[in-house]
Amino acid sequence: MAANTAPRGRILIVDDDRALCHALAALLEDAGYTVDQAGNGRDAVGRLDAGGFDVVLLDVGLPDISGLDVLAHARSVASPPIVLVMTADDTPETLLAAVRRQAHRYLRKPFAPSAVVEVIDDAMARAASAAMTIEVVSARPEWLELVAPCALDMADRIQSFVMQLDANLPDKVRENVAQAFRELLNNAIEWGGKLDSRRKVRISCVRTSRLLLYRIADPGEGFDIGKLRHAAINNPEDSPLDHALIREEQGIRPGGLGLMITRSLVDEIIYNEARNEVMFIKYL
Amino acid sequence: MPLPMRITERRVGDVTILELDGPLVVDQGETTLKTWVDRIVEEGRVNIVLDLGKVTLLDSAGIGMLVSKYLTAHRRGGRLKLLHLTLRSDYLMHVTKLFTVFEIFESEDEAIRSFGIEPSGEAR
Repeated sequence: MAANTAPRGRILIVDDDRALCHALAALLEDAGYTVDQAGNGRDAVGRLDAGGFDVVLLDVGLPDISGLDVLAHARSVASPPIVLVMTADDTPETLLAAVRRQAHRYLRKPFAPSAVVEVIDDAMARAASAAMTIEVVSARPEWLELVAPCALDMADRIQSFVMQLDANLPDKVRENVAQAFRELLNNAIEWGGKLDSRRKVRISCVRTSRLLLYRIADPGEGFDIGKLRHAAINNPEDSPLDHALIREEQGIRPGGLGLMITRSLVDEIIYNEARNEVMFIKYL
Repeated sequence: MPLPMRITERRVGDVTILELDGPLVVDQGETTLKTWVDRIVEEGRVNIVLDLGKVTLLDSAGIGMLVSKYLTAHRRGGRLKLLHLTLRSDYLMHVTKLFTVFEIFESEDEAIRSFGIEPSGEAR
């Protein structure tokens, strides 16, 4: 640990790969964290019962009990830690089980051990949103449906899971879908949900052999697209900065390009009448 | 997973080069960029090159911040120009028609010369 500094947080690493455990522990201790290690599920459960952990780095494939059961236990203790699931098992079933049990993130092995410090730092910085629950309505690979609080951190968390499900797509398709999803989800959370974590956004991701369909329903009243002068989509053809100047006048944060970008990335975008629900489709 | 954006600053003559490394997206990176550019513009350094070669993620909020800081520098009599766009950044600049607003370069020397100075820092 760095000299003369208070510990930054307490981490539990749960993995039967002792070499990986030691490597991760050394990196995290150098970064100022206090680290405990457990080589199996029962040891991990005992340590979790004793409490005091901020973050758990949890392998799914443990020798005695499933890491997913340890995850469920971690979420049931008095002060639940943030749990980052790490595994080489990237099947949709394992991923969705982790989502259902409220994993904060899903790290696919192998990963560079050096990246873990930044991942932990990020998780610690998002402790408030990490404690928020994502309701899993449907956890089938063909039909994922989630209900989540309207907090910006949620967009990253949800996207990290949803895009793992699209891992087998060509890179360009995956990147385009990820960006479209992120833009529309951020719009729903920021404009529809007013960044109020008591309000909820509902997300459905449907996969068939021929298309991907995403539906995002926000709790807002909708909008009239023709009146969005602060959106780039309404700029005159030869004035790409008009929306930015209007946003400055109205005290709105920089942006306003989301709809324009999204339209270019997917095959169809459909809004409901109120425009508080949107679907986009990418044909495969 | 997005990690925090880092900025490295260098100066060549009166041109400030900011190398961005990480995500430039809503709530991550965009505020770091705003704070950094506002500070150097306040110090009178209004000729700026943003090197986007290591930007790992760019969204509408990040592009919006590029536009906002372009306007900040322009209003103080300077210029903000872009360098080393990734394929994705280049695509987004075209989709949003902002390639007609920003001067975009593939070479740092070329970007520096566009301000009327040599890469050695001497005025041309």
